Amino acid sequence: MSELPLQSTQPMLEAVNLTKRYEDGVLALDRVSFQVRAGEIFAMLGGNGAGKTTTINLFLNFIEPTEGEARINGIVTHLEPLKAKEQIAFVSENVMLYANFTAIQNLDFFARLGGQTHYTRDDYHNVLLRVGLAKEAHHKRLRGYSKGMRQKCGIAIAILKNAPAILLDEPTSGLDPKAGHDFIELLASLRAEGKAILMSTHDIFRAKEIADSVAIMNDGKIIMQRPAAALVDTDLEQLYMQYMAGRSSELVG
Amino acid sequence: MLRILIEKEIREIIGSAKFAVIFGACAILILTSCYVGARTYQANRAQYEAAKAENLRQFEGMTDWFNIQQHRIFLPPQPLASLVNGVSNDIGRTTEVWGRGELSAQDSKFGDEPIYAVFRFLDLEFMFQVVLSLFAVLLGYDAISGEKERGTLKLSFANAVPRDKYILGKIIGSLTALTVPLVVALGIGSLLLPLLGVPLSGDDWLRLFLVILTGLLYFAAFLTLSIFVSARTERSSNSFLVLLVVWILCVLIVPRASVLLAGRAVNVPSVDEIAAQKARFQQQQWHEDRASWSNFKPTKSDDPNAMMDELNRYMEEQADIRDKKMQEFTARLNEQRYNKQVEQQNLAFSLARVSPAATLSLGVTSLAGTSITLKDHYNDEAKAYQSLYANFMKEKTGTNPGGRMFMFRAKIEDGEEVKPEPINPQELPEFEYHQPDLAQSISAAALDMGLLAFFNLLFFAGAFVSFLRYDVR
Ligand SMILES: Nc1ncnc2c1ncn2[C@@H]1O[C@H](COP(=O)(O)OP(=O)(O)OP(=O)(O)O)[C@@H](O)[C@H]1O
Ligand SMILES: [Mg+2]
Repeated sequence: MSELPLQSTQPMLEAVNLTKRYEDGVLALDRVSFQVRAGEIFAMLGGNGAGKTTTINLFLNFIEPTEGEARINGIVTHLEPLKAKEQIAFVSENVMLYANFTAIQNLDFFARLGGQTHYTRDDYHNVLLRVGLAKEAHHKRLRGYSKGMRQKCGIAIAILKNAPAILLDEPTSGLDPKAGHDFIELLASLRAEGKAILMSTHDIFRAKEIADSVAIMNDGKIIMQRPAAALVDTDLEQLYMQYMAGRSSELVG
Repeated sequence: MLRILIEKEIREIIGSAKFAVIFGACAILILTSCYVGARTYQANRAQYEAAKAENLRQFEGMTDWFNIQQHRIFLPPQPLASLVNGVSNDIGRTTEVWGRGELSAQDSKFGDEPIYAVFRFLDLEFMFQVVLSLFAVLLGYDAISGEKERGTLKLSFANAVPRDKYILGKIIGSLTALTVPLVVALGIGSLLLPLLGVPLSGDDWLRLFLVILTGLLYFAAFLTLSIFVSARTERSSNSFLVLLVVWILCVLIVPRASVLLAGRAVNVPSVDEIAAQKARFQQQQWHEDRASWSNFKPTKSDDPNAMMDELNRYMEEQADIRDKKMQEFTARLNEQRYNKQVEQQNLAFSLARVSPAATLSLGVTSLAGTSITLKDHYNDEAKAYQSLYANFMKEKTGTNPGGRMFMFRAKIEDGEEVKPEPINPQELPEFEYHQPDLAQSISAAALDMGLLAFFNLLFFAGAFVSFLRYDVR
C-alpha cells in the first residue's frame, strides 16, 4: 500500500441523530450521532439489545429511521439506498451463505452482485487465503463448513466488494483465537487501504487494540465515546463495567 | 444484474439434493404414467377389437338381415384418453343399436372392472394435478423465507440490488430451473408413446402438446403461488404450513365441494323419475295402439302373402307414429333434464374454477376429449350411426325394424321355400367414432388455459408486490 489517503473533510460514515422506534414501540436507538472517516475503525461496544445491530441495519437501509439519518459518503441511505449501498460492504453477525455452493461459487455470486465482474478464479483463491481459509476448502460446498469458516468467507466477500466503507456486526464471534488475531491484522490492512470501518463487537480487548474510536452503547444511546488514544492507559473493561453499573444505579436511584 | 440473479437461482436449485430427489421421482412418475397409459391403451384396444369381432360373429350363419334386430357398437379407446382418463372410464362404452328409438350406453370400464375404480388410475392428469403441484410447493415454499433464514437475503441486499430485479430473477430462475427438466421428461415420455404402440395422429400430437402446456401452466401457477406465500411469511416453516393448507383446499376440497354445492343448489330430476314417466307414457301408447289394431282390415283378404305384407306395413306405420310421439315426449323430458344438468354443471364448474386444480382438470380433459361432454358426444356419434344403420337395414330388408316389434316373414316364391343364402355380416356399416373437433376442444379448453395463465399473473403480481415490502433482515 502506498500512502494513506488524505483525511477528507467529509466523513465516510455518519449517523446524525439516528433514532429508531420499532413497530412494537421499542425505542431501540435514541438520537445517536457519530462519524467514521476513511482510514478509521469505529468500534461499538454494548450489551445485548443495546442497539448495535439496529445501527448497522439503518446504514444498510434494511429498516428506515424514525428520525435522523444515516449517511454514507454524504448519501442519505434511506433516500438513495441503491447509490449508498454501492459504497458499503457488509459482514453479518452469523454468515450463512449458500450451502449448495462452494466457497468460490459463493464469492463469485456476491462479487458480481456487488458489481465486481472482473475477478478471476485466482483472485478468489487469493482472497480466501488472505482471510485464512486453507486451499483444500475452497472447492468444498459450504454445507460442510464450520461457523468460523463461513465467517471467513463472509469477510472475503466484503473484501472483494472493494467498497470504501465496511460494516461488521460482531465479526469475530465465530473465530478461533488465532483466526481472531489474524482478523485484527486484516482489519488493520484494510484501514491502511483507506477503508472506513464500523464494527460492533463484544470483544473489549480487541476493540481497544484495533479501534481508532470506541463507543459504548446502552439502551439505544451512546453513553461514552472516546478516541482510542485517550484510552491507551485505561482499563477499558473496567470503564465498560463502570458505565454499565452507572446505568443500573441510575435506574435504582 | 438480472442475469446474475437468474443464473444463481438456476444453479442453486439444480445443485440441491432436494431437486435431484424430487426431479428423479418426477421423471420416473411421468415415464411410468406414459408407460401405464400405453399399456392400458393396448389392453383396451385388444378388448375393443375382440368385442367388435364377437358382435359380428353372432350373425354368422344368419340368412336374413331381417333377423338382426339390434347389434352393439363400442366406444373405441382413444390414445389420449389413456393419458388423460377424464370420465372415459366412468361412462358406458357399449351401445345397443336398434334401427329406431333411444340409445343408451352401458358397461363402463369401472363398472366392469371395479378394482380400477378404487384408487383410480395413475394417468398424466393425476401426475400434474397431485404430484407436480405438490413438488412445486416443496420446491418453492422457502424461495424467499428460506433465503431470509439463511441470511443470504441480507447479504444480497447489502449490495445495490433493486428489489424488483431480485424477485424477478427469483421467479424466472426457479421457473426455468424447474420447468426445463420437466419438459424434457414429458417430451421423452410423449416420444415413448408411439414406440409403445400408441398411434398418435397429427391432431393427437397437437392435443398432447396443449395438454402438456396446460399442465406446465398449472405447475407454474403453484410455483409462483409458493413464491408468493414465501414472500409473505417470515419463516419457511410457516410458508410450508400455509401452502399445505392451500394445496389441500385447491386440489382436494374445492373441486369436490363445488360439485356438492351445485348439486344442492340446482335440482336435476333423477333418471329413475324420468324413466318412470317414460314407461307410463309408453304403456299408454301401447294401449292406444292395441285398440287401433282391431281396426286393421286387410284390403285383400284372399292373398296371405299380400295380407302379411300389408300387416307389416300397417305395423310399421303404427310403429313410426308411436315412435314419433315417444320421441317427442322423451325429447321434452330429456331437454328439461339436460337444461337443468347444464345449469348445475355450469354452477359447479364456475365455483370449482377458483381452484387451479379444477381448472387443470377441466382444461386437459377438454383437450383430450374426455371431459364431461364425452358421454353426450358418444351418444351423438351413436345416433348418427343409428340412422346409417337404419338406412342400411331398410335397404336390405325393406323395413326398418325397431324395438319391441314383432315381424313375421318368410320368403316364399312360387309356393316353395327358397334355399336362403347366408348374409355377410361384414357388410354391416362399421361404427366410426370421431373425436370432438380439434377447434371445438381448444375453444372449450381456452377458458381454463386462460384462467391458469391468469393465476400465474396473479400470483406473480402478488409475489412481486409482497416482496417490495418484504423485511429482508
Ligand atoms: N424487529 C424488531 N422489532 C422490535 N424490536 C426490535 C427488533 N429488532 C430489535 N429490536 C429491539 O431493539 C433493541 C436493540 O436491538 P439490537 O438488535 O440492535 O441489539 P444489539 O446491540 O445488536 O444486541 P446483541 O448484542 O444482542 O446483538 C432491542 O431491545 C431489541 O429487542
Ligand atoms: Mg446484534
